[in-house]
Amino acid sequence: MTLQTDNAFWRWQEYHRVMPDKSWTSTDVITAGVDVGSVGSKAAVLVNGEIYSWGITRTGSNSPDSAVKALNWALKDTGLKQSDCKYIVGTGYGRVNIPFANKALTEIACHAKGANYIWGSQVHTVLDVGGQDIKAIRCDDTGRVTSFLMNDKCAAGTGRGMEVFADLLQIPIEEIGEMSLKVDEEPPSVSCTCVAFAKTEAVGLLRKGWSKEKVLAAYTKAMAVRMSNLIKRVGLEPDLVITGGQSKNIGIVSRVEAALGVKCLAMPNWRENGLDPMIAGALGAGILQKPSMINPKTLEATT
Amino acid sequence: MKNQPQQQQKKEAKTVELKKIMPETTQKEIDTLNPTLKAASEQIIAQTLERLKKINPNRPKEMEYFDEMANLFGKRVEELKQAQAEGKKIIGYNCIFAPLELILAADAIPVRINSGWYDTSKLGDRVVPVEVCSIIRSTIGAKMVELSPFLELSDVLITVLTCDGMTKLSEILGEYKQVWGLSNPRIKDSEQALKFWNEEIKQIKTNLEKLTGNKITVKNLKPAILKTQKATKAFRRLQNLRKDDTVISGQDALLVTQTYMWDDIDRWTEKTNVLCDELDRRVQAKEWICPSDTPRVMITGTPMFWPDNWKLPSLIEEGNPRGILVADELCSSERLLYDPVGIDEWTMNDMLNAIGERYLMACTCPCFTSKDGNEDRINWLLTKIKDHKIQGVIYYVTRGCMLYAMEYTTVKRALDKINIPVYYLDTDYTREDTGQLKTRVEAFLEMLNAQIDI
Repeated sequence: MTLQTDNAFWRWQEYHRVMPDKSWTSTDVITAGVDVGSVGSKAAVLVNGEIYSWGITRTGSNSPDSAVKALNWALKDTGLKQSDCKYIVGTGYGRVNIPFANKALTEIACHAKGANYIWGSQVHTVLDVGGQDIKAIRCDDTGRVTSFLMNDKCAAGTGRGMEVFADLLQIPIEEIGEMSLKVDEEPPSVSCTCVAFAKTEAVGLLRKGWSKEKVLAAYTKAMAVRMSNLIKRVGLEPDLVITGGQSKNIGIVSRVEAALGVKCLAMPNWRENGLDPMIAGALGAGILQKPSMINPKTLEATT
Repeated sequence: MKNQPQQQQKKEAKTVELKKIMPETTQKEIDTLNPTLKAASEQIIAQTLERLKKINPNRPKEMEYFDEMANLFGKRVEELKQAQAEGKKIIGYNCIFAPLELILAADAIPVRINSGWYDTSKLGDRVVPVEVCSIIRSTIGAKMVELSPFLELSDVLITVLTCDGMTKLSEILGEYKQVWGLSNPRIKDSEQALKFWNEEIKQIKTNLEKLTGNKITVKNLKPAILKTQKATKAFRRLQNLRKDDTVISGQDALLVTQTYMWDDIDRWTEKTNVLCDELDRRVQAKEWICPSDTPRVMITGTPMFWPDNWKLPSLIEEGNPRGILVADELCSSERLLYDPVGIDEWTMNDMLNAIGERYLMACTCPCFTSKDGNEDRINWLLTKIKDHKIQGVIYYVTRGCMLYAMEYTTVKRALDKINIPVYYLDTDYTREDTGQLKTRVEAFLEMLNAQIDI
């Protein structure tokens, strides 16, 4: 088998959406949350605290530009401008470099709040699989964080690691989940979780005659084990949800469920009219500007 | 059965041929690296102090003295050189088990030699694997390029064999300096442990007398004990000022306690009291350094050393949102001075026993265990949490620090019971992970803020 170095397979769908049944008038309060992650930049626009539109785009080499791009993308076709947003909260890895943000919050608080908005108060554990790290977050009925854990800075078990595999195996990233389930029997997981070494291991397995499906299954399983261990360490309290790009990877979701012995709450149908779990962070940022959860004093000090 | 102990002679200090430099470095390398690393370190010290002034424009005036002491290549080094030229001995130590009172009684000067330099830990990688704790690697690295004036000036090192890292560090340093290994029992509340430990302390006394030529007597040991008792009193006074609305930042308080490790103890005590006088006035005037609802945080875990390994306190107090560090349980800070030597009668025997007890029984190091685990540490933490109104604890571990890492579960369980959130933060002697740590610390503070908001 020859492995080409065409690197378009990691490309995931960048898109924006305006909620069809919603609108705004000049008396409404428009706010926004912008989540600049290491791989994806997301923005959510809210009208009176309700989600109105969003945009998901790839983070470029420059955080401020990516933030502008994501917000403009979310504002597209809404008739709104950035200046219409009364208050903008930045979050994610690039949160300190968002030029127009009134405030910055960590993605931990935002993902919990966003998940609470998307799925409701029964969410008590959130697994956010980001581009460069994974976070296991526990929260209460209101989406308030009660404890959390993050993995080390490492692409192992993250979205970026999955992109590397998409390229290596030349499979569009959005098909990886389905494909990884097309095995008769679950293979043992790859032993290396480090992406650089796992890649080498995968090449070795392919040469040995393993199918792409089997290799994917082995890698996805290794990732899922890492994720479920993090959840076990933080302590699983149902219901569990997964946010971030990997929530769309059915191979990951089903294996995390198997490892933990619980079902995640069903993912909203984001292709139709449901909210996209990838925007949980931006959405949470958009909601958290209401000083009800955060300390008003801190709010004053930082604005 | 009987013959064994009698036959055991007191170990004569072996005269070993000490090596001049580590084989992993050349003189040429020392000559180039030493000035570079020293200049870089001086710059970092200056920058950190500048930052401390900037974040707190109304910083206590009396911190000036400690800022001066914070220069590891400054005034104190000159004083030590002077004292050494006058015939005084300098005793380096790597751990708070070293009985300072005996050193002082023998008219010698104690200085702690653990390294807080990030850069030298990379040099240490040539001698030991990267899995070894950063403090050990960094101390080895500092020795390789002769960066630490305190380590270089030491006539003898008291190396306490607490953890595996410290035990083997003792051997490595032993090739370049005379070392007196001080072995502590791992279970402290038994008669035989205390007996063994008291013998160890007596051995140090004998060694000190031989080295300095000064006999340790009631006459010089009593003032030495009084000296450290006064220091403890001043220290406790400072800690009391951190129990309610705060007049001093955690970083400033940490700097004060860290300088105790190399400063002249009498002068340190005096300056700390002067600082406390100023802080008392600030309490009267209600000049708090942060709003009363700022989350109150405590750090526990692996010791942190000036100047480089300062990132966690700085992230807590300079992040967004801001927290305030009001207590710690670090052997490089509050545990240095927390307990005084308690004397009933000023006889030699009583004093030596009291010193032995102070260093062994009061210690909360995770190298200890018992049938109830390291329960002294848990009790210490619970008391601090109550006294200092702590809202959250950051459990700090450098990678490779096995004892602290492994004791986390027990501590977490105890703190869960009283609903105090605790966050496990592991890091290394590196600046590269500051961004990652920032997210973790800020998320933790946001979480505490949200709880205060209820």
